[in-house]
Amino acid sequence: MSGSRRLKIWRMRLLMLMAVIGPGFITANVDNDAGGIYTYSAAGAQFGYTLLWVMIPMTIALVVVQEMSARMGAVTGKGLSDLIREEYGLRITFFMMIGLMITNFGNIVAEFAGIASSLGLFHISRYISVPVAAVLVWFLVVKGSYKSVEKIFLAASCFYFAYIIAGVLAGPSWKEAFIATFKPPVRAAFHDSAYLYMVIGVIGTTIAPWMQFYLQSSIVEKGITAREYRASRWDVILGCFFTDIVAWFIVVACAATLYAHGVRQIRDAADAAQALRPLSNEFAYILFAAGLFNASIFAASILPISTAYTVCEGLGFESGVDHKFSDAKVFYWLYTLLLIVGAAVILMPNIPLVKISILSQVVNGIVLPFVLIFMLLLVNKSELMGKYVNGTWFNVIAWATTIIMIGLTIAWFVSGGGT
Amino acid sequence: MLSLALSELIGAPVYDPSGTSPVGKVREVALVPQEDPNRIAGFVVKTKQGERLLTMKSVSNVNGGVRADSIAADWTPYASGEGMLLLERDLLDQQIIDVHGRKVVRVNDVDIHEEIADHHITLKLSAVDVGARGAIRRLLKGVVPSSALRSMMDRIPPRMIPWEFVDLIETDPARRVKLKIALDRLSTLHPADIADIVEELAPAEREAVFQTLDEEVAAQTLEEMDPKLQVSILSSLDSDRAADIVEEMDPDAAADVLGDMPPDATQEILTEMEPEERAEVAELMTFEEDTAAGRMTTEYMALRSSAKVSDAIDMLRNFEGGLESVSTIYIIGGGEKLLGQVPLAKIVLATPETPLMLLSSRHMPTIHPGADEKKVAELFDKYNLLTLPVIDDEGVLTGVITADDVINMLRAKL
Repeated sequence: MSGSRRLKIWRMRLLMLMAVIGPGFITANVDNDAGGIYTYSAAGAQFGYTLLWVMIPMTIALVVVQEMSARMGAVTGKGLSDLIREEYGLRITFFMMIGLMITNFGNIVAEFAGIASSLGLFHISRYISVPVAAVLVWFLVVKGSYKSVEKIFLAASCFYFAYIIAGVLAGPSWKEAFIATFKPPVRAAFHDSAYLYMVIGVIGTTIAPWMQFYLQSSIVEKGITAREYRASRWDVILGCFFTDIVAWFIVVACAATLYAHGVRQIRDAADAAQALRPLSNEFAYILFAAGLFNASIFAASILPISTAYTVCEGLGFESGVDHKFSDAKVFYWLYTLLLIVGAAVILMPNIPLVKISILSQVVNGIVLPFVLIFMLLLVNKSELMGKYVNGTWFNVIAWATTIIMIGLTIAWFVSGGGT
Repeated sequence: MLSLALSELIGAPVYDPSGTSPVGKVREVALVPQEDPNRIAGFVVKTKQGERLLTMKSVSNVNGGVRADSIAADWTPYASGEGMLLLERDLLDQQIIDVHGRKVVRVNDVDIHEEIADHHITLKLSAVDVGARGAIRRLLKGVVPSSALRSMMDRIPPRMIPWEFVDLIETDPARRVKLKIALDRLSTLHPADIADIVEELAPAEREAVFQTLDEEVAAQTLEEMDPKLQVSILSSLDSDRAADIVEEMDPDAAADVLGDMPPDATQEILTEMEPEERAEVAELMTFEEDTAAGRMTTEYMALRSSAKVSDAIDMLRNFEGGLESVSTIYIIGGGEKLLGQVPLAKIVLATPETPLMLLSSRHMPTIHPGADEKKVAELFDKYNLLTLPVIDDEGVLTGVITADDVINMLRAKL
């Protein structure tokens, strides 16, 4: 085999790999952001293995929901907010967008919390790290250089493997972990408001409302149509599994280290970093800080801009960084404000970074059913989706997810949550 | 002349002569484009006896509720909206093409003008509202009293697009014909602007635009689009429509798109094409895209060495190719060998009897078909060229590269 031929084969393989790593995989990676890492860590630290049963049903729900978003994007060629606007009118869209903006804002705050706490481990004051990161992200996105760094972010996401290795090295009780994964929880758990809060948070961080809007728009933007959709479906499914396998290992790693050593509350990044100690005593901090920083800044580059796109598209404002500022004022202002205010929240003195990150994910979980209801109504409209409407099982699973999320929220309120 | 908003009409109570309480509510405002593209034909009214169609002839007043002068029982039952443009469903919240502003916008509300002549009301669609005014009006409708809302609206500057600058996008071909939705306003724009607009649309809508546009405009528009989109649009059209458009394209652009498509789709389109165009495109497709041959077109003008300026003028008059390839006329000898080239300016300035050979440029840079793109760009830059002939080892003229192709190529690398 000649050299050039071999090169050609390698190029083909690389291209095929890149083809699989599409919007679904990127969404999945951004899904394990600062809010995600903290929520999974806290779940493992606080409740040990007893939350692992959520993982399998959650993965099924995630696959179904993400697949619906991707399919809607490919078939209609329109974003989720566009579809809601066209089918349900201005007023419903308006309230939906306000709700989404508030929810996503919480996630943006969580990303800055991640930036502040990860760099805090290197003794960099958040009064420096957060403003610098905000400015950096603003320029990265507006000046259009984001696409060229996306691959770096993706590559750096290999950090998640550290959790898998740490989980193994921590010598968890595998038997216990696997049993907990398949065994439904005791009924008393559903009267424990702290437990319910964490369940909602874990599901909310995994199946986040913003993801559905972001994934659908990415599919549209990539120009994937109904015909090419089959290949994309694998990208989406692969991404979902990746997210949840990482989530499982984070919970297990934290359960085997923090929970086992009686550290039940994660107060700051230093606590959370302990979970990586089995991997390397000295480097646990550095590894955790680098990984959290990458995850946070990756998500901070995506969330504010995607929120601005979604809201402006739904409400009919010009959107996109290829427009001049004067042509798309609302878009640019919204984007800039989301970043600045999100960063400013973190600069408030004594703000509990981990707590606020988890709270944002719980809000995700509470808002999720509303987004799901619209997605379900839209994906079942045959005038929009033609033969690509949901099958029975997809409807059953997605409606069940919606009802369960509403049920969990009610149960949490009843058990005295929110007081 | 009074102005009304569509959002004020939708849901308005409808009264008939029988009493003081409303008999129903306005559910839709309908236009029958086959009769009149601007005038409102009637209302679909939701009554207790089902949906009825109230035609404008029976409407005596539309302010503070719709008043009809015939009783509800006499209105025809509403069966289907066939042949009708339903403003709430087809226009409100949908995307339209603002031909004047050259972009795709979303409709927040619709402005309707009321004209009264001989005690008869005519409602005409005057503009679509795409700004904050229409949005705020609809958000606050029913929350704020309507008189207060009206005075508030007067203070918000409107962003309106006159109805004559609006083109609708309808994806269903049968409805397109019935509703006379032709993109005749859009097609007056420059193909590059049309391309920008089309790129903002969803795939089904893009397909609809390319079904509707005149073949020549469609071809020029397609050339201006992103290569990936070109492929996706051509694949979405049926092969004879695609072939019609490809025939009108510049052969090198056509070869580029067809080369990017799946082989059987390409084959299908090629079979549907006229033999002459097919041969040209098929030949160009055999070249690697990043070589001189891959960038060249076979649409150029060449004359024998015995030709005079008058022959060149005749040829120019009958030339059907793109304007970018008329800037140079080539002189060929036996076996199509390239002998010389004459710039258009020289031909215009010379007398009809002058032999072309006399006008031929002394320096004539040429390029080999296999040369890479970089070499092409270098020659264009060095000699300030508009066109560059491509000749093979025997000196036979095989094609011409034009400056616009080079600009395209360079921009793709910026």
